[in-house]
Order: sequence, then structure tokens, then C-alpha cells
Amino acid sequence: MSKIFLVARDEWRYWGRSKLALWSTLLFAVLLVVTAVLTALRMEHERSERIHHQAEAEETFLSQPARHPHRMVHYGHYVFRAPSPLSLIDPGLDPVTGQSIFLEGHRQNSAMFADSSASADLGGLSWLTPALIYQLFGPLLLILLGHGAIVREREASTLVALQAQGVRGFDLVAGKALALASAILVLLLPLGVSALAAISMGESLIAAFALIAIYFLYLNIWSLLSLLISVLLQRRSSVLTGLTAVWLFSTLLMPALAVSNTTREFPLAGKIEVDLAMLEEVRKLGDGHNTEDPAFQKLRADLFNRYNVNKVEDLPVNLRGVVATEGEAKLTETMNEFADRRMAGELRQASLLNRHGWLTPTLAVARASRSVSGTALETHQRFLREAEAVRFDFVQGLNKVHAEELSYVDDINRNSSDPEVEKRSRVDATNWQVLDDFRFETASQELRIENASGSVLALTCWCLLLAAGSVLFGIRLKP
Amino acid sequence: MNGPSAIVREASLLRRDRGFLTWVVVVLALASIAVLSGLNEVSHQRATLEKLLAADREDREDALAKQSDWGSAAYYSFHLTYDPPSDFAFAALGRRDQDPWKHRVRMLALEGQIYERDVGNPVLALIGRFDYAFFAAFVLPIVLIVLLHDLHASERIAGRHGLLVTTAGNASRPWRMRAALRSAAVFFAAALPLLVVSLNSGVSLLISGFALCALFVYVAFWTVLCTWIAAWERPSAVLLANSLGLWMLLAVLVPAAAKVTIDRLAPVPAGADITLTQREAVNDAWDLPKAATMDAFIERHPEWAEYTEMSRPFEWKWYYAFQQVGDQTTEALSGAYRQGRIERDRLAALVAWLSPPALLERVFQRLADTDVRASLAYEAEVRSFHAQLRAFFYQKMFRERPYDQTALKSLPEFAPSGVAP
Repeated sequence: MSKIFLVARDEWRYWGRSKLALWSTLLFAVLLVVTAVLTALRMEHERSERIHHQAEAEETFLSQPARHPHRMVHYGHYVFRAPSPLSLIDPGLDPVTGQSIFLEGHRQNSAMFADSSASADLGGLSWLTPALIYQLFGPLLLILLGHGAIVREREASTLVALQAQGVRGFDLVAGKALALASAILVLLLPLGVSALAAISMGESLIAAFALIAIYFLYLNIWSLLSLLISVLLQRRSSVLTGLTAVWLFSTLLMPALAVSNTTREFPLAGKIEVDLAMLEEVRKLGDGHNTEDPAFQKLRADLFNRYNVNKVEDLPVNLRGVVATEGEAKLTETMNEFADRRMAGELRQASLLNRHGWLTPTLAVARASRSVSGTALETHQRFLREAEAVRFDFVQGLNKVHAEELSYVDDINRNSSDPEVEKRSRVDATNWQVLDDFRFETASQELRIENASGSVLALTCWCLLLAAGSVLFGIRLKP
Repeated sequence: MNGPSAIVREASLLRRDRGFLTWVVVVLALASIAVLSGLNEVSHQRATLEKLLAADREDREDALAKQSDWGSAAYYSFHLTYDPPSDFAFAALGRRDQDPWKHRVRMLALEGQIYERDVGNPVLALIGRFDYAFFAAFVLPIVLIVLLHDLHASERIAGRHGLLVTTAGNASRPWRMRAALRSAAVFFAAALPLLVVSLNSGVSLLISGFALCALFVYVAFWTVLCTWIAAWERPSAVLLANSLGLWMLLAVLVPAAAKVTIDRLAPVPAGADITLTQREAVNDAWDLPKAATMDAFIERHPEWAEYTEMSRPFEWKWYYAFQQVGDQTTEALSGAYRQGRIERDRLAALVAWLSPPALLERVFQRLADTDVRASLAYEAEVRSFHAQLRAFFYQKMFRERPYDQTALKSLPEFAPSGVAP
């Protein structure tokens, strides 16, 4: 056991003398710290801005004067997706998805204003985040630190001397792996600091720890890979070239190829396409603005029966409000059905993409990191669903007011030129309290970690496989 | 030792270098995959548009058939606007994954509609597709680095370095030729699929010629850079690390730093402010005196000044006038949003000269008409179409023409630029 520690300590000493190791680590650290600070500032700004806009939107809605209730249905409301605390490490889908939705009657609008649409376009890798640095450039640093571990000793012929002193192949490989693992812990320090910042913003300790553990696992895959190639190949330059090739394939090529492959295998219809298909179905439902629409004849007859009247004016409720309620309910059912189908399609695409995580750990770690950070597809879809719930609630709340607080006769005279008559078609502003407060919260840590579990499994398998390979070839190490 | 015979000798050496040949085959394969997956996406987008155009027409005709006045006809009829992919779009899909290139708009206030985003799966947009521009700009330099970084160092290790330099008579000549030959092979492997598919899909010679020139200059740039580093008398690991460091600097750090700086230098208003302002303006109009709306409207449309008289409490011309006034109120903000994006793009175009990978990607996106400029141009087309729609219905509503279904046959139709109407 002590031999393993000795080997590890020696490796640290070697790094201390190696300019290459020192400089690349220093650059990595500087880049990481700068990016972490900038990302934290940006996400914190986004967070406070959106929370502020949310409060403002609620205030404006509630401060509207007395109006016809259906006017408020079209006046509508806005909801904003506040980013999760861990998004200061991995903003994930936040910049590429719209951050606000306009909610109104009879329609499900798309989320508007994605940061990526307004930002300067300088190529696919220009949106640096701490997560991306760990995912793409952490491996490169570990390759630089780890590639020479065994092959260096072999080229300098110190391997013979070591083995003569009784250091077995296993000790050597395990010691070097230990050194690299401890180096990884040091490299993860900035991540730890960012995680502390997230915890101070209300993130749970377990989620923050899980995120760090995921990156620890991922970076160890790369250190074990470097070690394995270092054991297998005879020349240092070929070890490095080979590892660079592997890095190129798994971090830059495979994820992009996986995207192309996914869209080819399972293309998805866009929102307009789905909406058009839905409209065909909606036409059968009837127009909730029109009480004469044949689709509502049965509703009208039922109401007449129930209240034992035969004139709309004699009903104790406003038929127009009842029809609006019924129309919205039916319409929403159809809209949700299509929205669900579309979201299921997106999830299916995402899971096809995640399957490629078995081919490259970079995809697996990206998925796990987004899930735990609360910036994954599931988060955006939950935002869309919660927004829809808010929409449906306030629209139906207003329709209820329409049916119960406003008489039919006043309602049909709402466009009267007599100001007194027109005034009677408005309901009091206290009715706008039907709107609930909306705060988009991060999902529970259990759910986020559960969503990441498939990818973590892939990462663990990668890690175990490479560790087994290193040990297997390590014990047979020949000088 | 010089001249054609030397080239032939070097080339025959290269032909036996299996590692090198593998890389050339890999480049050829990746370039082919890149153009083919780009083609596949473009044809999917075209097929989608075809489907949408048919469904859109059907939906509109169905909606119009039920209406009995101009106002409802305008209210219930949506119009598809779109930006079809160019012939060269397969090589650089660019903004098309992130910015919307299709909308369905109607005659209501446009500011409430134009920011709708019908874009694909965000998970895929985040990673980005494997298109040719990405391959050429980011992947190809790394292949060159791997191939060229140890030209000197490997000979030094093999003990032939001194001999080669002495016999060549010039310390750098043999390496230059070696590097040039290797790069040329990589260039041809990368260019061939692009050329074949370009010619096949009717891309103009000017565009494909320009793209190949840009690619050539780009490969030459990295070749010079790599051979410069390769000549340092250092171990090959250090050379490779330095070359990769340079790649990171040019492909990642400069663009990332520039992006942060530009986004700060050229701010854009928060999108929420635009839509909130627009909504307030539109909704307040219901409670304002009608003259207030009409006066603001007439400022922009003096030709209707004599037709603003209203005989009933609700008239469609007033309804659409306040929709337009809503847009007018938002003009400053939405103009600032647009100007901010134009300014950011202008600065990005300048800074891209410091980052050859970003520059090459931008050149390809420009050639393919899939860059920010193309997105903004499409947005301008939507605005101009919406203005035509308004002009059409204002004629009918303000002059109080009797409703006539057949007149709707001459409704303006959206025609994307570059496509004959």
C-alpha cells in the first residue's frame, strides 16, 4: 500500500518539475475561474431580472381597472422561467430556450426570447461555461498530465529500476491513478466554490455534491484512459497523438454526429406543423365566442332544462360565460393532447441522443450535469406545463366571473354607445385576483438525480471498464 | 534533391505511412458525413415547408369561408411566412437551429407575434449539428495539428534530423515540402465531398468556388502555424500541447471573450419589455377615447384621415388601428432590439478576424445565407408582408367596401426573397 502512495507522491513531484504540466494546469485554472465568475454574474443577472419581470407582470395584471372579463382573457399574462441556482455552473438549455411565455385565452403560445438569438455569433464553442470547460478541456488537461505516466518511465528506462525495487505493475498503475485522482480533486476546487455559491442561493447540498461527483467520475474516465494508453503503447508521442485523436472524436465529433443521427432517425414536427394539425381538430369543437355555434346547442338545452326556462335572458347564469368556459375546457384538452405529443417526441429524441452516451462519456456527462443542475429538457417542459396550468386557471377563473357576475343582457349590450349601459358590462377589478402567483422553482433533488441516473450508470461503466483494463494490462507490465 | 523528384520521393514515402493514410480516409469520411447530414436536414426542411404551405392554405381558406365581414376575415386568417434554405445551406445550417425561420402571422399587432419561436428540440440545438462548417472550422485544424506537430521531432528521435538538413542544403525545405504535401492531401480529402455535393445540388460556381478558396486559405493558415511550432527544438509532447493550446486560443478563448465583451458593449433591451409595452398599448386603447387611437394612427397613415369617423361603438377599423398603434408604441424598443443585434453582429464580424475558426464558420454561413444577417433579413420580410396585409384590409375597412369573398382571392401572399412570386 505504501508503495502506491510513494508512486503517487513521485508523480506529483514530477508534475512540479514539468513546465508543461504546470503551465497547462495554470491556464486551465485561470480560464475556469474567469468563466465561473462571468457565468455566475450572467445567470444571477438573468435570475433577478426574470423574477423582477414576473412580479411586475403580476402587479400589472392585478392593477387593471374594471373591465369586461373576456377582455382580461385576451389581455393575458406573462410567466418567466427563473433559472435554477446550479445554472451558474451549467446553464444548459437556458440560453437556447425562450424564457417567457405570453398566456392568453384560446392559445398556447411558444416561449419567446432566447438569449442565443440575440447574442453575438462567434461559433459553436464560444458560449463558454464552467460545465463546458470541464466537459471539453478537462479531458485535454488530464491527457497532458497522464499520458506520460507509464510510457515516460519506459522511455527513460526507469521502469526496470522500479520493478527491480519491487514495485509491481499494479502498484505503479494504482499509484499513478491515485495521483491523477487527487489532481482531479484539486481541479474540481473551482467547481466546489461555484457549488457553494449555488447552495447559498438555496440549492440542496446533495444536488451540489452529486454534480461534483459526476464530474469527478467523468474526469477519472479520462485519467484512466490516459493511463491505459500509456501502458499499452511504446512511444510517448504515439500515446499523446492517440489520446488527442480519442479526445477529438469523443468531445467534438461524437456529440455533433449524435445530433445529426438523432434527427435523421427520428425527425420531429415543429410547433406550427403540430398546430395546423390541431386546428383541423379544433374546428370541430366550436367557437367559444359564439353561443349560436351548433357545438354548444346541447349545453344550452341542458341549461334550459336544469333551470326550467326557455329564454337565454331568464337563465340565472350568463350563457356567454358558460359557453366560454365549456369552449376553453374542450379546446385546452385538445391543445394539451397535441402539446403532450410534441413534448413526448422531444423526450424521445433526447433519449435517442442519450443512448449515444454509451459511445462517448462527453454526452453522458453533459446530460447528467444538465439534469442535476435543473437546466435539462425536463425543466423546460415542466415550465411549459406549469405555464399552461396558470393559463388555464386564470382564463377559467375569468370565465366563471363572466358567467356569474355579469348578466346576459348587460353582456350583449357591452358595445352600447350609452356609457351607463357599457359600464354595466364591466366587472369589478377585485375579480382579477383569480390570478395565482407564479414562481418557477427548481425540481426536487431526488427527481433531478433520478433523471441523471441513466447517464451516471454509463459513466460508471466507462470508469470501471477502463480501471479494469488499466489493472489488467498494468499487472503484465513489461519494461 | 530538389524539384519534382523530391516531391515524388516524399509522396511515395507518404503513401506508405499508414497512420497518415488513415487520417486522410477519416477526413474524407467525416467531410462526406457532414455534407450528407446537411443535405438530409435541408431536404427535411424543404419537405416540411411544402407540407406547411398546403396545410396553411387549407386552414386559411376554411377560416375565410366562415366569415362575413373584413374584420373577422383578417382576425381569423393566418399566413405562413418562411425562409426556405438556400442551395448551399447543407454546408452551414447556421442559425436555422436556433432562430425561427417560419411563422404564422395575422393582422393583429406584429410585435406580439414576431418573437414566437417555432424551433426544434433545444437539446439538439444546444450541442449543434455536425455540419460542414463546424467540421472545417473546428475539427480540421486538430487533424492538421496531429499530422504536422512532430514532423521534426519524429526525425530527431529517429536520428535522421541532422542528415536530412545537411543533404537538403536548407534547414527548412524538406519539412516545408512534407508539411505541404500532407496538408494538400487533407485539403483534397476535405474539399472533394463539398465540391461533389455542391455541383450536384445546383450551388452556383461562384459560391462553391469561394467556399473552396476560403477552405484552402484556412488549411494553409493552419499548415503554416503548425510547421512553425513543429520547428521548435522541443519534445513532441510539448509541441502538440502548444499547438492544441493555440487551437483553443483561436477557436474557443478569443470567440468566448469577444462574445462576452460584445454582448456588454452592444446591449439589447429585455425582450419582455417589448411584449409588455405592446400589450399595454393595445389593451389600453379599449378604454381610451377613440380619437386618441385614430390620431396616432393617422400620423402614420394620413391617407385615411377622412375616413376615421365611427358610427358604431365597435368598428373593426378602429380595432386594427389600435393594433397598429400598439406596434408604433413599441417601435423604439423593438428597433433598439433589432439595432442591438445588428451591432452585435457587426462587431462579431470584425472580431472574427482574430479567430480564424469563427471567421471560416461565418464565411460559410454567409455563403449559405444562414447567418444572423439572414435571420434579420427574414424578419424584415415578415414585417413587410404584414404591412402589405394591413394595406390590403385598410382599403376595405376604411372605405367600408361591402364584404366580398372573391376579393379575398387577391389577398397578399408571402413570397420569400430569391423565390419568384
